[in-house]
Amino acid sequence: MSLNFSSPFFLFGLFGVSVPILIHLLTRRQQKHVRFSAVYLLFQSQKRSVKTSSPNRLLLLFLRCLGIALFSLALANPFLSLGNSEVLRNNSPTSYVFIVDNSFSMRTQVKEKTLFDLATQFLSKLLTQIPDGSEFSLVLASQPAHISQGWIKQKDSFDKFVKNLKPSYQTTDMGHTLVKAANLLKNANNKEKKLIILTDLDKNGWDEEVFSEIGTLPNTPLQIYNFSSLSFKRNEIAVESVQTHQEFLARSPILKIRSTIKNYSNENQRLPVSLLVDKELEKEILLDISAGQTISEEFSIPLRKGDPIQGQIKVGDDVLPTDSRRYFSHHPNQNIKVLVVDGDPGTVSHQSESFYLERALNPFSVSASHIDPTISTLAELPLRKLSDFAVVILANVRELPIGYELELESYVLRGGALIFGMGNQIDAKYYNEKLGNLLPITLKAIQNIEKTHLLFRSTEHPVMRAFSAQAIEEMKEISFHSIYTIQARDGKNFKVANWFTNQNPAVIETDSGKGKIILFLSSLDREWNDFPIQPTFLPWIQRWTQYAARGLENIVHQNLLVGEPYHQNKDQDQWVVETPKGNLHLITTADGQATFKKTQTPGIYRVFELPEKHTQKTISKLPLGSQPIGTFTINVDTKESSPQKISEENIKTFLPNLKVTIKSPELNGSNLPSAGGMLLTTPLFLLVVAILLLESWMIRRE
Amino acid sequence: MDEVSQNYDPQVLTRISSLKITAMNLVDGILTGQHRSRHKGSSVEFAEYKDYSPGDEIRHIDWKVAGKTDKYHVKQFEQSTNLKCTILLDASGSMAYQSPTNQGESKLDYACNLVAGLSYLFLKQFDAVGLTSFNDQVVQHIPPRSKPSHLQHILHGLSTLSAEGVTQIEDVLARLTERLQGRGMLILISDFLTRDQDIQKSLKLLRSRGLEVILFHVLHPDELNLPFEGDTVFESLEDDPTVGLNPIDVRERYQKAIQEQIDTLKNISNGLGVDYALMDTSIPLQQSLSYYLIKRKSLIKI
Repeated sequence: MSLNFSSPFFLFGLFGVSVPILIHLLTRRQQKHVRFSAVYLLFQSQKRSVKTSSPNRLLLLFLRCLGIALFSLALANPFLSLGNSEVLRNNSPTSYVFIVDNSFSMRTQVKEKTLFDLATQFLSKLLTQIPDGSEFSLVLASQPAHISQGWIKQKDSFDKFVKNLKPSYQTTDMGHTLVKAANLLKNANNKEKKLIILTDLDKNGWDEEVFSEIGTLPNTPLQIYNFSSLSFKRNEIAVESVQTHQEFLARSPILKIRSTIKNYSNENQRLPVSLLVDKELEKEILLDISAGQTISEEFSIPLRKGDPIQGQIKVGDDVLPTDSRRYFSHHPNQNIKVLVVDGDPGTVSHQSESFYLERALNPFSVSASHIDPTISTLAELPLRKLSDFAVVILANVRELPIGYELELESYVLRGGALIFGMGNQIDAKYYNEKLGNLLPITLKAIQNIEKTHLLFRSTEHPVMRAFSAQAIEEMKEISFHSIYTIQARDGKNFKVANWFTNQNPAVIETDSGKGKIILFLSSLDREWNDFPIQPTFLPWIQRWTQYAARGLENIVHQNLLVGEPYHQNKDQDQWVVETPKGNLHLITTADGQATFKKTQTPGIYRVFELPEKHTQKTISKLPLGSQPIGTFTINVDTKESSPQKISEENIKTFLPNLKVTIKSPELNGSNLPSAGGMLLTTPLFLLVVAILLLESWMIRRE
Repeated sequence: MDEVSQNYDPQVLTRISSLKITAMNLVDGILTGQHRSRHKGSSVEFAEYKDYSPGDEIRHIDWKVAGKTDKYHVKQFEQSTNLKCTILLDASGSMAYQSPTNQGESKLDYACNLVAGLSYLFLKQFDAVGLTSFNDQVVQHIPPRSKPSHLQHILHGLSTLSAEGVTQIEDVLARLTERLQGRGMLILISDFLTRDQDIQKSLKLLRSRGLEVILFHVLHPDELNLPFEGDTVFESLEDDPTVGLNPIDVRERYQKAIQEQIDTLKNISNGLGVDYALMDTSIPLQQSLSYYLIKRKSLIKI
């Protein structure tokens, strides 16, 4: 048990005790002594007086001194540690590594403060108990784990540094944080070493695999302060995702905003879900979510001409508001730019592989179909910028330029759509060897058959849903005489969208990253079938293109998580990104790619094109003529939202070499955490008040 | 003689020598003086005749009247007797009070002058005067004598007096009452600053024995007004506990208390036919005594 002071400066106030003593001595010197005859009459008069008590000046002096002393002590914020901070009770200089969990779950609110505020205040208090000569370092535990402050001996500077810390919007990465801490302890100057973690013990971030790397710190005491114990409520609700979807297939002028909301609590919840568009409340509904369930809710709003739409979905209020809202942005009425790579161009146009495709995709003009095809030969392909296109159709392409398959992989992972059409030119061996990462199947061989037809086992596929029964019947009549047979690759998932009547797949689709890959196992010209000349070919190929282009938003409006960099692939040299707080950042293109990395704050970021080259390194105001060219949203990763906590047993299993103890800091009256000790400020102030009352009562009695 | 002169102010004695005190009642005395006696006896001044009765002195028979009337008449004379006065002087500690500011004479000094003046006056009138000083007991006793040289004894007694001890008037008076012979005069000079004393009972006893009693209540103006200021520690001149206070807080109540005491004494005195005179030491003794004697003379029955 020890008495500590968080503001020891106020202890100088104890010198104030001398003031009443001096006053007492000075007034005592002024007291006269008179030898008098009628003293008994004076005594009687005094007794009859209202002030009947004789002033016990010494008692008053004592009370006044005590009052001043207690007042000074109260201002110094004393707290009685009841043995909770054994880790700090050490008189020899020690090397302390503090790990502060600054992930967004530490933004959980406790009254008017966040757990992170309480953690930093707590750390400041801990510092007051640490013996002089010790050294400190600080590692922040959110992704990416990094050493925020290396070894430092100046307690004041370290305290100042701690007080200026802010929580991030990242997830926890306790494993790598401990690796960093272990490295720090290796370079510690003192023999005594201690590790202190201030965290909410969210299970997310305690990655067992990473902990195996920490085995070099035998017998180092690890004190974990669990701040989640300070919060009476847990995180209950999180908006896990928001997707905007303009119904291209139906040519609807309606934008659909679909959000998935998870109820982490053990109780059914009825919560208001709000749709805010351009910071104004557009719609609000009450949503019932069962305990532990995730539900989707779709809002529909009319599209307003060609204006981009930015907004957020907000759900109720819980102790962690950070994940109760999610941002989205949408650019309506965009043409789907399609790159058709013709693998078998002919000298006569209608003999080209892309002849029917081009006409089917854009029979009259762009405005009619909202599909803007660009025909390219293989030779031209390296000159094309894939990111300009939402969909790339490889029609009967024998093989790609050297190394181009990697570019395609990257394109798909970022949200691009890839449609393969078969034909005689296809080199199955090349496809199977080089495009293994893209294709979920291997091509076996061309199967020439007398006649086969499309088989529609179900019309549930979104592409087929718009077709009438008559159209389906017509499509069933189409004859196919050559198809490619395939074989599934191990560990790859894909769906068969259509079958041929000979039990071979006709169309298969698979997701890769944020993109989509579709294989049509016959030709897209008349070489292997007569589908291109059928009336149903046009809507069929258009709907597949539109369907595949669902990842379009991921290219034009990138939906990123906090900390993920934003890539811009346009030709211009300079871009300006405006953050949600209104700060401007100038991005300069390097190697054909501009990257913006300061995406630590959730919100909607806007990208502008400058009218002329900006010569300075920074930009404070958008110049006149700057054009908005896009937006991207940054949202938190809801992995951190789960209120599930890691148990002490698990931690001890992960860290077998460390002496782990987990404590709960306590909240005192002023909402400041103390290390399990008792804050004496309030009792002392009450004592001072009691002394003042007693003193005034005694003076009144005189 | 030097010691005597310290307590004997010739100027005072000279001034008051012209004043004569006349006792209100006739007292028995041995010496003939100017005090009229209600007792008839042989003296120079004829009073009346009375029929002879056996036992009357034969030498008082008026033979001329017997020759004319053939009856025996005895001559009676109005006899002048001298006064036997005992002065009781309080010599307790409280009488030593003197102002802490101007350090003038103490109450005891004032009282000694008063005693000296009165003694001179009595002796000049051929009255017998004695002095008894006391605190809680009799300190000094000089029996009454009418010889002029007796003044020296009294003055000597005064010069050796010092103020000390606790006042116990009641006990002292009780003891003295036994000692005082016959009718006479008792002058009690004191500040009467004593607690829990029933002086009324003692005075009643004295009066019942035919003694004429005069009370001289000697008080210092500080004792009347409590003029002190600021935090003061009052230490008693007797055995009271020390009191620390600010006089301003209690001044009003103190003045009321001392006035109550004076009034009580006055009332007791009036009720018992005792003369009472308040002697403020700030007023010159001559003035106070003259005032008292004039007042007393005006009340005398001739």
